[in-house]
Amino acid sequence: MLSQLFASLAEVSQLKFLLPLIIGTWAGLIGGAIPGVTITMTIILVLPFTFGLDPLQGLAAMTGVYVGGCAGGLVTAALLGIPGTPAAIATTFDGFPMARKGEPGRAVWLGTWASFFGGLLGAVFLIGLTLPLARFALRFGPWEFFSLFIFALSMVAGLTEQSLLKGFISGIIGLAITVIGSDPIMGTPRLDFGSEFLGGGFQFLPVLIGVFAFAQIMTDLEKAGDSRHLDAQTSPDLSVSHPAVVWEILRRPVLLVWSTLVGILIGVLPAIGSSAANVMAYDQAKKISRHPEKFGTGIPEGIIAAESSNNANVGGSLVTIMAFGIPGDAVTAVMLGAMIIHGIQPGPLFIIQQPRVAYGIFAAYILAHPVMMILQWVGARFYLRIVTVPRAILFPVVLVLCTVGAFALNNTVDNVYALLIFGVLGYLMVKFGFPLAPLILGVILGDEIEKNLIRALMTDPDPWLFLTRPISGVLIALSAGSIALALWQHRRTQARLARIEPEAETDF
Amino acid sequence: MGRDGAAGLVGLAGSVVLLWGTLQLPKSPLVPIGPAFYPRILFTVAAGLSILLIVSDLLRRRSPAAQEARYRLVILAFLIFGGYVFLLSPLGYRTSTFLFAFTLQAVIDPPRGPGRWLFVLAVALATTAVTYYAFEVYLYVLLPRGWMTGF
Repeated sequence: MLSQLFASLAEVSQLKFLLPLIIGTWAGLIGGAIPGVTITMTIILVLPFTFGLDPLQGLAAMTGVYVGGCAGGLVTAALLGIPGTPAAIATTFDGFPMARKGEPGRAVWLGTWASFFGGLLGAVFLIGLTLPLARFALRFGPWEFFSLFIFALSMVAGLTEQSLLKGFISGIIGLAITVIGSDPIMGTPRLDFGSEFLGGGFQFLPVLIGVFAFAQIMTDLEKAGDSRHLDAQTSPDLSVSHPAVVWEILRRPVLLVWSTLVGILIGVLPAIGSSAANVMAYDQAKKISRHPEKFGTGIPEGIIAAESSNNANVGGSLVTIMAFGIPGDAVTAVMLGAMIIHGIQPGPLFIIQQPRVAYGIFAAYILAHPVMMILQWVGARFYLRIVTVPRAILFPVVLVLCTVGAFALNNTVDNVYALLIFGVLGYLMVKFGFPLAPLILGVILGDEIEKNLIRALMTDPDPWLFLTRPISGVLIALSAGSIALALWQHRRTQARLARIEPEAETDF
Repeated sequence: MGRDGAAGLVGLAGSVVLLWGTLQLPKSPLVPIGPAFYPRILFTVAAGLSILLIVSDLLRRRSPAAQEARYRLVILAFLIFGGYVFLLSPLGYRTSTFLFAFTLQAVIDPPRGPGRWLFVLAVALATTAVTYYAFEVYLYVLLPRGWMTGF
């Protein structure tokens, strides 16, 4: 394992792979820094530029975007009090107060070094866990894969902040999109209503781009009056003593390791993304702290916990993608899509059959961290200037890149029509309170769910096997459990709101 | 009925139409499970969930209406993007992208004075030129040529 890893580190260190990794990390840092341009959208925007590259080059760039994006959000979070990405929400709690107290450099570099250490600790788990988990997944037949995908979908739909029912409907819409076109077993055309456009089905990239880019841009446009541009409030001096900052982090090993573990665990579990990791690690740090009352006033513990967890989360998410082929949230769904576009089918056979690419991804993940540090050192102030780009310029450019991305997938304008259709759908879903992550997961997993269901029933028509085969049965039970838990949580929240509401009314 | 109820009705109508569509599918002569098997399960579940959404909306207490957002700009942006998409084939990538980038900028932040108009024009030209050269020349993506313009 180690010899393969060192060989891959040497391979990815070549300029041919290092250059896409650097560009990807740079793009991630910028995308992560711009409020309103999430990591998901940055991956979507960079993906078309990698179409013509060797798979490992393309995936090195994508890994760079993912790592850079997680770290990029902290610059605006600390200096402007606006998280560049949802993964940096908790970083604002202490990063911004610290910067306002006259220590902007310390705030930014505590976060950056914590991201670095958290990410590298995440790499240890990524490399150590993926192969054993993939070997375990080799025992899976179509029953187990079907149940695993259902479990992932039920987790994502159940843990959405909005209603559970809407989460499931969103997931079903995603699955429904995949049944249009030809069926995956015999290739029979279905549900095309005689239309050539529908007959080809929908590729998931235009769906992803349409749903995410439009939902985000159009929601931002609604507030155009107050979000056309962000003024750089300061031109801060980011110089700092790096050994002192590193020591500030390393002399809190329990905090660092615990926050990293929270990030990894949340990354491994389907459904809970890096924003949850960031907030949960912050909350955990507050709970184990001897002075919880100081959290939120600009203390280093808050920044270290928040930033180490969100980068460690990337490692955890990659474990789930590479070992099982299931994405945990919207960002990892897009990462999985990027892998598929580059001809990689993530899952248990991936690391065994394609060790060069798999270990190449590990190597890219490790190397992305020092690259991220260097780029942050060179350009943190530059990223701060980029966030002042007026939205009137940013939005047309982003939409043009989305259009080219959809078109370039297989050089057809049909994909651009699909982009428009799913753009409208994505925006309407957001306005009607439907979460988008289950839809994306449905689109990504739809074909595999159908194939495994049909394969299982054609091998043995007994449907009880989904429950009686041990692993499949456990996964189905976990799916039911996650739905029951989500229902219980939803009812508890409703009951609490019902108790609060009468009190609120008495105020008036 | 609230927004959820309306969404549920749309979902129910869509599920019924697609469920009807699965009835038109042929049975597979080679395998016992045909192409309609999985979609039928899916759309039946979708119809059930849509009914649940309608019922839950009807039973729910009404909360005060949310603050009105600025939908005019959103609708305009969608229309401009729709125009761009449909002009790609007749006008080609370069012309339609330039028109799109110029119009959308002008609509989001209307320029005041000739200097601002020139700036909007320059951004539209730069967006078109940079993306064209990046994709067509360096990444070998053959971007759409217009059947009306010839380029």
